[in-house]
Amino acid sequence: MTPQHPQHLDDVLSLIKDAMADGAALAIVGHGSKSDWGYPVAEARPVVLDRLSGVIDYQPEELILTVRAGTAMTEINKALAKQNQMLGFEPPDLGELYGANNPSSNKGSIGGVLATNLSGSRRLTAGAARDFLLGFEAASGRGERFRSGGKVVKNVTGYDLSKLICGSFGTLAIMDEITLKTLPKPEATKSLIFPADDLAAAGKHIAAILATPHEPSAAAILPADMAAKAGYDMAKMLVVIRLEGFAISVNARADALLALYAGGDEIDDKASQSLWQLITNTVLLADSQGDIWKVSCPATAAPAIIQGLKDILPKDLPLRYYADWAGGLLWLDLPSQVTPADVAYGARLRQILADHGGGFAQLIRDSNITRQYLPAFQPLADAQFGLHKRIKAAFDPMRVLNPGRMHHDI
Amino acid sequence: MQMPEPDADIIARRDSIVATLKTMLPATSVVDSAEGRRAYDADGLSAYRQLPLVVVLPETVEQVAAIMKYCHHEGIKIVPRGSGTSLSGGALPLADAVLMAMGKFNRILDIDYDNRCVVTQPGVTNLAITQAVESKGFYYAPDPSSQIACSVGGNVAENSGGVHCLKYGLTTNNLMGVEMVTIEGEILRLGGKHLDAGDYDLLGVMTGSEGLLGVVTEVTLRILQSPATRRAVLVGFDETAAAASAVGDIIAAGIIPAGMEMMDSLAINAAEDFVNAGYPRQASALLIIELDGPEIEVNALIDRVADLVNTAGASSLKISETEEERERFWAGRKAAFPAVGRISPDYLCMDGTIPRRALPDMMIRIASLSQQYGLRVANVFHAGDGNLHPLILFDANQPDELKRAEDFGADILRACVEMGGVLTGEHGVGVEKRDLMPIQFSEDDLKQQQRLKCAFDADHLLNPGKVFPQLHRCAELGRLHVHHGKMPFPELPRF
Ligand SMILES: Cc1cc2nc3c(=O)[nH]c(=O)nc-3n(C[C@H](O)[C@H](O)[C@H](O)COP(=O)(O)OP(=O)(O)OC[C@H]3O[C@@H](n4cnc5c(N)ncnc54)[C@H](O)[C@@H]3O)c2cc1C
Repeated sequence: MTPQHPQHLDDVLSLIKDAMADGAALAIVGHGSKSDWGYPVAEARPVVLDRLSGVIDYQPEELILTVRAGTAMTEINKALAKQNQMLGFEPPDLGELYGANNPSSNKGSIGGVLATNLSGSRRLTAGAARDFLLGFEAASGRGERFRSGGKVVKNVTGYDLSKLICGSFGTLAIMDEITLKTLPKPEATKSLIFPADDLAAAGKHIAAILATPHEPSAAAILPADMAAKAGYDMAKMLVVIRLEGFAISVNARADALLALYAGGDEIDDKASQSLWQLITNTVLLADSQGDIWKVSCPATAAPAIIQGLKDILPKDLPLRYYADWAGGLLWLDLPSQVTPADVAYGARLRQILADHGGGFAQLIRDSNITRQYLPAFQPLADAQFGLHKRIKAAFDPMRVLNPGRMHHDI
Repeated sequence: MQMPEPDADIIARRDSIVATLKTMLPATSVVDSAEGRRAYDADGLSAYRQLPLVVVLPETVEQVAAIMKYCHHEGIKIVPRGSGTSLSGGALPLADAVLMAMGKFNRILDIDYDNRCVVTQPGVTNLAITQAVESKGFYYAPDPSSQIACSVGGNVAENSGGVHCLKYGLTTNNLMGVEMVTIEGEILRLGGKHLDAGDYDLLGVMTGSEGLLGVVTEVTLRILQSPATRRAVLVGFDETAAAASAVGDIIAAGIIPAGMEMMDSLAINAAEDFVNAGYPRQASALLIIELDGPEIEVNALIDRVADLVNTAGASSLKISETEEERERFWAGRKAAFPAVGRISPDYLCMDGTIPRRALPDMMIRIASLSQQYGLRVANVFHAGDGNLHPLILFDANQPDELKRAEDFGADILRACVEMGGVLTGEHGVGVEKRDLMPIQFSEDDLKQQQRLKCAFDADHLLNPGKVFPQLHRCAELGRLHVHHGKMPFPELPRF
């Protein structure tokens, strides 16, 4: 079906109303860079939001940026860079990860970043995408225009629908105008690398550093194979700590941490930037033949989860993974399921996760047909699923918007 | 303020409701005497008082669930309450509602330094969280001025802030998980010790929902390592506009202070009379700017801030050299509300937010409204994020002064929205700003918010009469207009 490219929210409203009248579904696409995340929307009319684009208002001293949701991340980053500002949650560019399956992949739109609540390495200390959306105007699945939030950084008026819309994968409403909180770009960045014996030791090391007043902005752990890919020769584990801020402060904190912990090393700004891009943008696993899983877990649970997976994988198949967010975010490469008879590693992963404090395991790139056998999103307990369905019905009662993209019935 | 008409049938059944509640809770945890209930008849918005039907003091999640299930089944309303410090009437009782006070949920359950979080019951006070972890150098960042009294459950319900939220965020940015009970009595866990979930962000929706969506029975909060150093600058200005532009200049220079507060002349002098903090009495605006972080950084930035405020036209400037001095700078600001309480029998604390650039215009507007209403106003702002706290002085014993003060406050909030801001930055809508919601939101905006409410509480049993000016029945809210007159899937549930 020919994709529609609405220019105004009114056009979006008409498309929704037509779909309601015809009992049709809409497949909502920003720029299409993350179309492989979740499920394709079956037999739907494609609606591409690339024309809902442009910066509406930018007030750097107010830390406020208002744009249309279809605006390219490249354009947003350019506008921010001019004022020496940034989006604090460090939106990743998953172009490499999805590139192989998706020739149109680029850096995507801000709407897509918010709809997937996608945050990078600085999420550990600065917050997630959802923490930076201050307000929006959107079209609900009822074909009605509504606003929520505001254009100021501090606001508790009414329910915080900005949180709900972030991470809803286009299943509740189509955003047009959005207002984001911006932050000043750090004057300087420096990274420190430390060796560690194993994942548990690496996690402890990071916890110790986070218990000093030296304020890292990001902390990741790369096993030797991943470190080697990034160009670091390590016997076992590589701990990477990033410091950001005013130069005088970054230097002092780096020196203090290197004095506190033996065996550390400093890498320069350029090397640091390219290393964190590999980490945040999941480039380290982009060449995988298997499925890519994103796991959000208590940081201290990471070693047990990884060990649990190693125990169930065939001996000749080493587990490829790395950790960000001090261990609280695991990027995993697990074998795909091609037939129902194959081991459902994702299901085992979810069991292991549940046994170690809970969390969230999401299949974010399926290299074969795993998601036909296994829910791509973590299955919800009954009460939660009931609430999800009622919320879906509250915004999109006829299931016009991206039905099934996240869960069946949603 | 019009509250929903109490349900005479429920009030008539009071004795049997009390008797049933006493089968679910120890008798001492059901407060039904008039004098016992009187202790709960208001929150921080004390101009409004109402005896609740009965007060329950549950102490386990199972008790909460049982009470909710019973009330849901019987169609009895529930008003949750933490410490009762809300300034917007969020915890105001209703004559026909059970008041569920969470004070017995008073234990910290787990301090997990390695995952940098604290799991606690909701009745624990905000300050107690920091006190529990400070020996290890940690703290809980959101610090409402009421922190010695307010509960963290109330903080979640109000999405409370504090002077440090410019740099560290509101409650919502520091909350990792909750356990909550729905009106049907179902127990849900949202979030936890992990950072992000991947479904609808119900945790985000619960935060700031003012007790309308569920009762919070457990909270997981993110704790941070305390900064190595804190220093503050105390700056006087002859012109409010110069103070306002200094605030913008600091942020434009890439500096996000830990706190940036402004006071006007009346507030400065009231505070000075009360605590003698050394504030410049002749200044028309005072800024307190606090920087925190590594010592070397704070020392370097404090000089830059001093340069910036001087360039902006400061008339006086002091930099704290010791911790005592820093605390003295803050003493006046922290005592600003009680200080104003000394110069006036009563005051109303407003809480709008505006884009910071509108501050000078807003000051002019407030001054002219003050003349128009014949009431004085002292201004205290979280200047960094444009959150205003005008304190309107009045005397409740004078026949129409409360009404005049409320109308004055409403006009300030109207001006906030007109200047591109919002009705409330941190105190919540409650009953206080309920009827002003249509100034900020259209009918469709409010209906969409209420549809969310319907997904949680279809019978409007939780904290009704708060937040929304008009209660629409959920069935009515769910009606759909489909053009061309077609209505496919008539069997699908809709609301
Ligand atoms: C002197 C003073 C200074 C203040 N300063 C600030 C400030 O700097 N910043 C700021 O943000 N606020 C401030 N406040 C407002 C107030 O303290 C906060 O809103 C606080 O979070 C309320 O907490 P509480 O426990 O007293 O809640 P309550 O007043 O008891 O209740 C507030 C709301 O939360 C709901 N609620 C309470 N507990 C639960 C629960 N467990 N589950 C579900 N819903 C619940 C209630 O129904 C009600 O709607 C101040 C108040 C005072 C009196």
